[in-house]
Amino acid sequence: MKYQIVIAGFGGQGVVFLVKVLAICAGNRNVPFLGTENHGMSQRGGSVSCDIKIGGFTNPVIDKNQADLMIALEKNEGLRNLGFLKLSGTLVTNAKDKDEYPELPFEGFAKIDAFKKAENGEFPIQGLNVYMLGFALINDANFPFSIQEVRDAITQMNAKVAAQNIVILDQAMKDAKELK
Amino acid sequence: MKQTLMGNDAIAWGLVHANVDMVSGYPGTPSSEILSVVQSIKHKLNLDIYAEWGTNEKVGFEVAYAGAIAGKRTCATMKQVGLNVASDSLMSASYIGNLGGMLLIAADDPGFHSSQTEQDSRVFAKFARIPVLDPATPQDAYDLTKYGVELSEKFQIPVMLRPVMRVCHAREIIEMDEETNFAPNKGEFKRDVPRWGAVPRTGRFEQGVQQLNRIEVIKEYNWDHLLKPEFDRCEGKKVLIIAGGTGHGFTKETLSDLGLDADVVKVLMPYPLPVEQMRDRFKSYDKVLVVEEPYPCIEEQIASPNVYGKNTNTTHQIDEMSKEAILKAFQNIGFYAGENIYATPPSLDFEVEARPPALCPGCPHRDVYYAITKVFKKKKAIYPSDNGCYTLALAQGAIDSILCMGASVSMASGFSISDPEKTTVATIGDGTFFHSGIPPLLNAIYQNHKFILVILDNSTIAMTGRQTTPSRSNKNIDIKKIVEGMGVDCMEHQYSYEMQDNIDFFREVKKVHADATGPTVVVVREFCILDRERAPDFIPNIFVKVDADLCVACDQCTTIYKCPPMAYNDDGVIEIDPFLCAGCGGCLDVVCPTDAFVQDFDYLKRGN
Repeated sequence: MKYQIVIAGFGGQGVVFLVKVLAICAGNRNVPFLGTENHGMSQRGGSVSCDIKIGGFTNPVIDKNQADLMIALEKNEGLRNLGFLKLSGTLVTNAKDKDEYPELPFEGFAKIDAFKKAENGEFPIQGLNVYMLGFALINDANFPFSIQEVRDAITQMNAKVAAQNIVILDQAMKDAKELK
Repeated sequence: MKQTLMGNDAIAWGLVHANVDMVSGYPGTPSSEILSVVQSIKHKLNLDIYAEWGTNEKVGFEVAYAGAIAGKRTCATMKQVGLNVASDSLMSASYIGNLGGMLLIAADDPGFHSSQTEQDSRVFAKFARIPVLDPATPQDAYDLTKYGVELSEKFQIPVMLRPVMRVCHAREIIEMDEETNFAPNKGEFKRDVPRWGAVPRTGRFEQGVQQLNRIEVIKEYNWDHLLKPEFDRCEGKKVLIIAGGTGHGFTKETLSDLGLDADVVKVLMPYPLPVEQMRDRFKSYDKVLVVEEPYPCIEEQIASPNVYGKNTNTTHQIDEMSKEAILKAFQNIGFYAGENIYATPPSLDFEVEARPPALCPGCPHRDVYYAITKVFKKKKAIYPSDNGCYTLALAQGAIDSILCMGASVSMASGFSISDPEKTTVATIGDGTFFHSGIPPLLNAIYQNHKFILVILDNSTIAMTGRQTTPSRSNKNIDIKKIVEGMGVDCMEHQYSYEMQDNIDFFREVKKVHADATGPTVVVVREFCILDRERAPDFIPNIFVKVDADLCVACDQCTTIYKCPPMAYNDDGVIEIDPFLCAGCGGCLDVVCPTDAFVQDFDYLKRGN
């Protein structure tokens, strides 16, 4: 299996957390992977994009026109990084319902107004990253890991908040199915 | 044992598995996690290790270096620009050498992700005539950390490990030692004045000759152990690619993506290179392409008529490595004639508003800079500043110059001499002040340079992940006392979320400065909003909303105060993003000319 995932967002949204969860998924299955993360200055609310390449790769960076999936935690951060997604790939993005969204040529596409759902108290905003991961799980037909593998990885990441995160993950998957 | 680790974690484990028991250095992205992970391994396994930050890289290097002279295995860790600070020590240490192994880690940042320069530490190693190891992956980083410590002890010279950001912050499954059988060397200083106390000319000259001989021996070692096996694996293809560090991984993938075949030699030790032996192997190739970053370190050593790289304009000369850059290099040497598979359709290029990093919501720096620019008007002031989170006040128009660590103070001296008509107001954080702000302040006091220095004391090295500062660990160290000890008063102010307090304080500073004959020094006691230990004592939990009837869309808050939660909504009125507001209350006072910011009493009740 070879699968390249870009996670785009801004500092403070927990982009790196998702890289770690996917890394644990791959590690548990003993599949080689390479991920790369943003630390330091770029974390201060600025644009953040992290890559994870699952399968036999030799460098951690995803080049343009190569990613199979992009999970965008915010609309503009998704648009900023579109060049990395190949046309046969899938874009899963958080975007406000009221904002116009451009026509895009990708094979897979799904968007949801996750900010609104958080504002309505459907899940805590700190869980936006996990919410979008759950949304991607349903909307990317080729997602490389099973729901159970993701749940296990979230538990391994941080057992203390795992229960809450899994509730958010399940909520997102339910919402995604209802939208389909 | 298999472990999923980030490159910096792998390096920390490598140090422990190499029996290194003294680690010093200074934080700097992308190197910062190395020392803190050693600290956490130390606590987890209850190991007797000295793993502590130095006040700057030079100090950190020297602490570790003396340990290695006394026979211990040691490490100094820093980022590439930190090595500039430690370079004085390194240049001499490379003559004198050491008994125990000493690994110098200088983490590079091709692409300027978090650094002011893109300089190549491998070139620095070459300048200092010490061997340097260049890992391509976190696995390499683990292996080469152990290898480097052994090599240093074998050749009695510091060895540099040069990981780039894409190694430090890459994550993969690492195969590492099954068990940690920690057995550090016993430290014992053996007096050897001709060596440890060598002076010019005779003593150092002799060591200079030894240095040259040693580098020749290491070249042979590099050939026998690292490079010859790589060349022997080559299959006589038309093109040979010499790949250093991450260049290896990028090259392998590009070749595979494009369906091309070439001989690839991975260079683990880019200096010193056995140039003659390598050139001998180049003869059978049409073209030899060097892929490395960021400077042409390997290329310049092995330059030959059929060698291509940065100096022949074949590969990119600036910015981070990419497969697209390698594809273009393949095109340039006539190795690939196909399409650019790494290009994206122009229809995907959207104009997206830039989202630069910003001071966090609730950060006291914002309010202090706001007050400074209110009192010391832009037209009549010069604002030199320094390296740290507060550099982000550039967005507030509150900073005029940035050079390197500590330069705010000495540049304030220079500006005050060259343009005395203006008031120079320099800002520096507490971490940077301790790092390299003290000698230039001493100079300013000594020479009576008339400017204002504002020391922003948040008791942490915030930008690199909130490492501790000297005064945080030892309460006897106090910035005010240090300044007073240098012979001048130090005005002190406790940051207040009521903006008027801050403005009143700086008005007082202005008055004092008017009659001063030398520098006016100020320390503002702050906190870091991300500091879980201290911040809760200071945050008033005053959340804010906008009275839409009062907002006149004057842009004051979005252009001068610049707090991330503030943005215009669809009705053209400022709105506060409730997810981002930190409850600092800083904007309630002064910031809005029409007082449109009002306290949101129900904020917490709404379950936020």
